Amino acid sequence: MSSTVSAASTGLDFSLAQQLTVVALCALTAFISHLALAVFNDGVRPFMLDFVQGRTTRSATTAVSFGLSVGFVFGLGAPMALSSGVLNPWLLFLPTDVLGILAPKKWLAPLLGGAWGAVVVFGLDGANALAHELPVDFLTAMQRMATPILFLFTLFPVLAITRQFGRLRGAVAGGVELALVVLTMKVWPEVFAGAPAMAVGVLLLIGFAVAKDVRRRRTERVAAGAAPSAQERALGDPVGGGRPGEVDPMVSLFGTSAARLRRHLPLFMVLGAGVCLLAQLHVFGGGEATSFLIAKGQYAEAAQVDFYRALGFIPLIATTALASGAYGIVGFTLAYPVGYLLPNPWLAVACGALIFAGEVLALSWIGKVLGGLPSVRDSSEHLRAAIGDTLQLAILFGSLLAAEAMGGGLGILIAGGLYLLNEAVGRVVVRMAAAPAAVVVTGIVLNLLHWLHLFTPVKT
Amino acid sequence: MTTILTGGVGKAEVADTVERLALAGVEVVVSNDMDAAARLRAGRADYFLGTCQTGAGASLGVLVGLMGSAVCHTFGRSVPSVDEINALLDQGKKVFGFAVDQIDAVTPTLAGAIAARA
Repeated sequence: MSSTVSAASTGLDFSLAQQLTVVALCALTAFISHLALAVFNDGVRPFMLDFVQGRTTRSATTAVSFGLSVGFVFGLGAPMALSSGVLNPWLLFLPTDVLGILAPKKWLAPLLGGAWGAVVVFGLDGANALAHELPVDFLTAMQRMATPILFLFTLFPVLAITRQFGRLRGAVAGGVELALVVLTMKVWPEVFAGAPAMAVGVLLLIGFAVAKDVRRRRTERVAAGAAPSAQERALGDPVGGGRPGEVDPMVSLFGTSAARLRRHLPLFMVLGAGVCLLAQLHVFGGGEATSFLIAKGQYAEAAQVDFYRALGFIPLIATTALASGAYGIVGFTLAYPVGYLLPNPWLAVACGALIFAGEVLALSWIGKVLGGLPSVRDSSEHLRAAIGDTLQLAILFGSLLAAEAMGGGLGILIAGGLYLLNEAVGRVVVRMAAAPAAVVVTGIVLNLLHWLHLFTPVKT
Repeated sequence: MTTILTGGVGKAEVADTVERLALAGVEVVVSNDMDAAARLRAGRADYFLGTCQTGAGASLGVLVGLMGSAVCHTFGRSVPSVDEINALLDQGKKVFGFAVDQIDAVTPTLAGAIAARA
């Protein structure tokens, strides 16, 4: 972990094998979206139930999917890809969600999806090559993002604990994490300093949440006056599901959905193999900030960030999947960190297939556990909010560092100004992507000024 | 008394925003989608405001499946007008999802329109 910017350019040109992987995977994701078996957009998933059950039309569902996705394709996926030079799921899989549902015929969906994959991979390849040719190279400057992202992300468990369990426990967690960071730097300098701190922080959060649920259940039982039987004490038993003779509507809905997904297990295994393979190729970043780490070649750090991020998303993806009968196109996102770390593509294909098989088979059980642990579901929401807060600051700060690396004060003025302008007009670009998008525009403006002999590139 | 439940990523912020408005006849409770489904069905709550990045995923969660899409609406990342909100309330919508980065823009209008019917 070094805070200095490497002088070498990232040089991410896509090989033919990588290009074909992206095209094939996009064809597959569009096909699966067409069958309403999985969608990437967590917001579209709840609406898939009516489509699966035939209560709404393909065109109405396409409209919902398009409306909820288009802003994230152009406001998050595209600017992140252009500023990092690395592919991301918003750019690849949101359009294949829409194209798959849109396609009126089964055979058309993979064609449309594959065509989109080709457009993205050739377009980004061309944009990267062009960016590295320019006198002011914003892709290399963007590597400044890594340090603020990693070190601020380290704090996300502390923020989540403070949000959910108050200031006192938040302060304790903060103290513990800071001590661990300092300790790691001292005794284990070759390891990323935030790694042990993050692990302990997340364990604290989960510990607090499980303890709260166990206490609550105990008091509920006492209040109900019923002595708990050994069976009921089992972790998987949903609270309040014990009324005899009455079928809980949630239980029956969840059961139907899980059974539907299990019927298509082989297709999900192929999908898992593809997602894990894509992550293994190191031309793709799964999380909001991961692209910048992948671009800099920090795969182990990227894997940590996306692993913890997955903890925040598993409950969301599991409950929306069980409530709709449509799974996540990248599953629980666990295939990302595994893929980044694996040494070769064949292993990634095998591991990805196994991960998805495990996820789909465990879905029903996970739903039951989550039903009985509301505080854990709460934690995942606080965790996502905390990750959002830390990454927002990190990406803003890292972008300004990159702008300064390119153009000094002028760079900060243009990039910071564009960010503030986006805020003032009601956030056309998603906040997380606004600063990187501003850096890309700043890079273009500085190159134009250089061409007009009005600006000399800053040497870093 | 009209009870508004909040859920999703920005549930605490939405509840704070509604409380600061100090609307007469409205109480706000921090909840979640599964709990809200039970309370809304039992008539122990009236409305649900959910938030997340998309305004629909964690915002609505299991509510579309359990309450039916007829009572659920997502604004996505857009900011609705008072007229739009009133039209939706007239249609009987009870569950609303919107984007977590538009909480300041959406919550006061939405809670105000709900309070006007309390």
